[in-house]
Amino acid sequence: VIHKQIVSIPDTVISEEEAAQYDRQIRLWGLDAQKRLRGSHVLLVGLRGLGAEVAKNLILAGVKGLTLLDHEEVTEESCRAQFLIPVGSEGQNRAQASLERAQYLNPMVDVKADTEPVESKPDEFFLQFDAVCLTGCPRDLMIRIDQICSQKNVKVFCGDVFGYHGYMFSNLGPEHHYVEEKLKAVKPSEGTSDGPDTKKPKVDPSETTMVKKTASFCSLKEALEIDWTSEKAKASLKRTPADYFLLQVLLKFRTDKGRDPQPSSFADDSTILRQIRDDVLEAQGLASDLIPDEFVSYCFSEMAPVCAVVGGVLGQEIVKALSQRDAPHRNFFFFDGLKGSGVVDYFATK
Amino acid sequence: MVQLVGSLRKELADSVSSCRVLVVGAGGIGCELLKNLVLTGFKNIEVIDLDTIDVSNLNRQFLFQKKHVGKSKAQVAKESVLQFCPEANITAYHDSIMNPDYNVEFFKNFMLVMNALDNRAARNHVNRMCLAANIPLIESGTAGYLGQVTVIKKGLTECYECQPKPTQKTFPGCTIRNTPSEPIHCIVWAKYLYNQLFGEEDADQEVSPDTADPEASWDPAQTAARAGASNQDGDIKRVSTKDWARSTGYDPVKIFNKLFKDDIMYLLTMDKLWKKRKAPQPLDWAVVQEMAYIQEEVSGQGLRDQQVLGVKGYAQLFCNSVETLRSQLAEKGEGAQLVWDKDDPPAMDFVTAAANLRMHVFSMNMKSRFDVKSMAGNIIPAIATTNAVIAGLIVLEALKILSGDLEQCRTKLLVPCALDPPNTNCYVCASKPEVTVKLNVHKTLVQSLQDKILKEKFGMVAPDVQIEDGKGTILISSEEGETDANNSKCLSEFGIRNGSRLQVDDFLQDYTLLVNLLHCEDLEKDVEFEVVGDAPDKAPPAPNVPEEDKNIANGNQDSALPSTSSKVPIEKDDVLIVDSDEEPSSSTMEAAVEMGGVKRKLEDVETGGAGSKRKRLFELPINDDDIIALD
Repeated sequence: VIHKQIVSIPDTVISEEEAAQYDRQIRLWGLDAQKRLRGSHVLLVGLRGLGAEVAKNLILAGVKGLTLLDHEEVTEESCRAQFLIPVGSEGQNRAQASLERAQYLNPMVDVKADTEPVESKPDEFFLQFDAVCLTGCPRDLMIRIDQICSQKNVKVFCGDVFGYHGYMFSNLGPEHHYVEEKLKAVKPSEGTSDGPDTKKPKVDPSETTMVKKTASFCSLKEALEIDWTSEKAKASLKRTPADYFLLQVLLKFRTDKGRDPQPSSFADDSTILRQIRDDVLEAQGLASDLIPDEFVSYCFSEMAPVCAVVGGVLGQEIVKALSQRDAPHRNFFFFDGLKGSGVVDYFATK
Repeated sequence: MVQLVGSLRKELADSVSSCRVLVVGAGGIGCELLKNLVLTGFKNIEVIDLDTIDVSNLNRQFLFQKKHVGKSKAQVAKESVLQFCPEANITAYHDSIMNPDYNVEFFKNFMLVMNALDNRAARNHVNRMCLAANIPLIESGTAGYLGQVTVIKKGLTECYECQPKPTQKTFPGCTIRNTPSEPIHCIVWAKYLYNQLFGEEDADQEVSPDTADPEASWDPAQTAARAGASNQDGDIKRVSTKDWARSTGYDPVKIFNKLFKDDIMYLLTMDKLWKKRKAPQPLDWAVVQEMAYIQEEVSGQGLRDQQVLGVKGYAQLFCNSVETLRSQLAEKGEGAQLVWDKDDPPAMDFVTAAANLRMHVFSMNMKSRFDVKSMAGNIIPAIATTNAVIAGLIVLEALKILSGDLEQCRTKLLVPCALDPPNTNCYVCASKPEVTVKLNVHKTLVQSLQDKILKEKFGMVAPDVQIEDGKGTILISSEEGETDANNSKCLSEFGIRNGSRLQVDDFLQDYTLLVNLLHCEDLEKDVEFEVVGDAPDKAPPAPNVPEEDKNIANGNQDSALPSTSSKVPIEKDDVLIVDSDEEPSSSTMEAAVEMGGVKRKLEDVETGGAGSKRKRLFELPINDDDIIALD
């Protein structure tokens, strides 16, 4: 089933049930946006801590369909890591185990589980969705899927949480159209029926206007493969969050080891992490104190509150993109749970 | 060697699993917070919420499902959490945190308290309880795309009430009754009308034309003539609105004509009001019936409630809702009263219809039921993601507190902002809180002092009041019945005059407030009292330690100098949005202020004095209380 087009608003009527349940969010982002969400299909890869948060946020928002894709099995640790998997599910597939509680979040959304490895999916698989969100995926796989999707106007999102640190990336394509709601200042005029006090211009909070805008995004490959040895890049280094480089280190670990740093091999993994840090920074001609040694203590496992923050931001970015409303963050969001700081920044080679 | 338990170092993980915490509220923030706490390893959690589940909660309060509508939030939240974390030790209370059972001893059981509230009264109360118990409090709030988290610790930081908060907007009586100029005025009027007809009648909620309007200023001869004329009409001055309505059998047509024709015609005789304003145009029921219904918009475009009906449509709605409410009243029996509720369809229909008819009379564009409900019901739009982010930040702050890193706590909006030290003049947490109130001692009743000033304005729950008259005369006792005889007397009867002082104690909140009274005979119209120096634009400057020393040396007796402020040095060189030398391309500001949507900064309060560069991003009013009060 090839399903496309998020540009046209479905002409369907919102049911009483939906109007009642979605009331508080319709009052925020409007009925049009809700209708667009209602027509969207999303693929979510990875059901660990961050994945569960994104799943919750999208299901509550009221998308048409959400496919949960994960080939891994539930372990004792993953039971404690996320709130969708019920206790006693060890041995089951993670997506499958998450399905029931995910569906309960909102019966009006069509939630499905897919237990196949994402690497085995053909290109066409991704094109049936309006948006694809990748968590826990190795770097090369993300780059590949990003390339497949952005050619066909499928919105791409990536995100991960490593201990206290988390990030999200988005590629909404070279020309993403959206609207912004601006308050309208009503000028007084003769015969205006906006009240007896027609002398002064009023800003009636319910009088707004929609302004059309466009934003362009680069590919993930481009965003990750910046050459920091160039003069131009060096100049912008001062205001570049160190988290960007930390991400490079952690993605390299994931590629090399086939997994993320785990507490049970804390000592060995710490050593490897520090080595990778040295390699990554040196290759780019960067000082090693850009990422201080202590970093290893804070990037193991997934911290639940960090999953909540990153999952919240990521979830909202997906909602914005699908509803084509409000300015998207461009193109990275980094969250440092130690400092409690979140930064949006744009990384591209051009 | 660092030992990890999951993501946390072992010492922290041990603190987390052994400590007891209290979560106040199990709604939008509460659900997300409970989930984060158990997943982080917190084992001993108590949660309290007085509310039950409503279908409109389900878009974000994810621990609840449709089948739970009507049940206790705290109870269902606990059961849902146990599904994915059965080892958690959760106690749920379906109760109000303001219940005196939850006294200082109760609060002292906890390492940490986290608010997940939606109203100021409860926040004020918990603030005081935590100060009294000397327990850290994490305060937070969300509205739409905006959210904020801050830590409150006695002596170290500002308390919740250190900075004056904007109060709920109120409108003068004559605007509501005579000269509305905005839809909100008509909506407030319609809610008053509901109470006058079907609910508890309130002298502050008059709907009839206000002949005492100073703008109308007639000369005495005219006034006498009008008084005579109004007697003939059976004007409301003699008969209450409810009694009059009853006498007509709650006839909708008669009520319609009285409100939208006769009363309007009366207003028109007060011609001074209409010299600079467009005069209202009366509506006659019979004439309205001759009109055509407005062509309804193509269905499916908007929600049914988002349609704006025409005059005839609203007249019909008015009629239907009056009949329905009349039946509801009859069913309840003799002396019954209805309470307005935005989720009660006929009540909402009534306000929609009445407000719109009045808007039409006063030449305003009419509003859909959807929009009227937002305004009448004080609805704050809400989504899951904002609450998710804020609840994540709350737990991160909690971990800092448990690690003993309180000084590293920051007011949060995804960007660090330094916490401000306590306001020395704060009438809550300064060591000898004091405040000055202007009122008319000959007119203010003891009952008003208790209800409107001490309870409503100053947030007390059970005040005891002594007059500092050398005799220790007790004016108000929190014990039931002890001082009832005093309630209907005015303050001057007790020898209270200009400059008198009252000592007010609330034992539950462990809070003593000294109230200085200034007698004033020319307060603004409809204003019963005024707190001196409390207005947001007169916020006292942020304390600066050297200045305080100077004050002490100079023997300045007037300022309340707390012994608790600035004992612990506050970091002054933090990264702040305003001071940051990062270029705007790193959009920290955008990430912080909004998740998306209209960049509506609800409040932007600058602290004065030493902290003048520090800009609080915004103050969230976040008050779901169904009050549009008339002072």
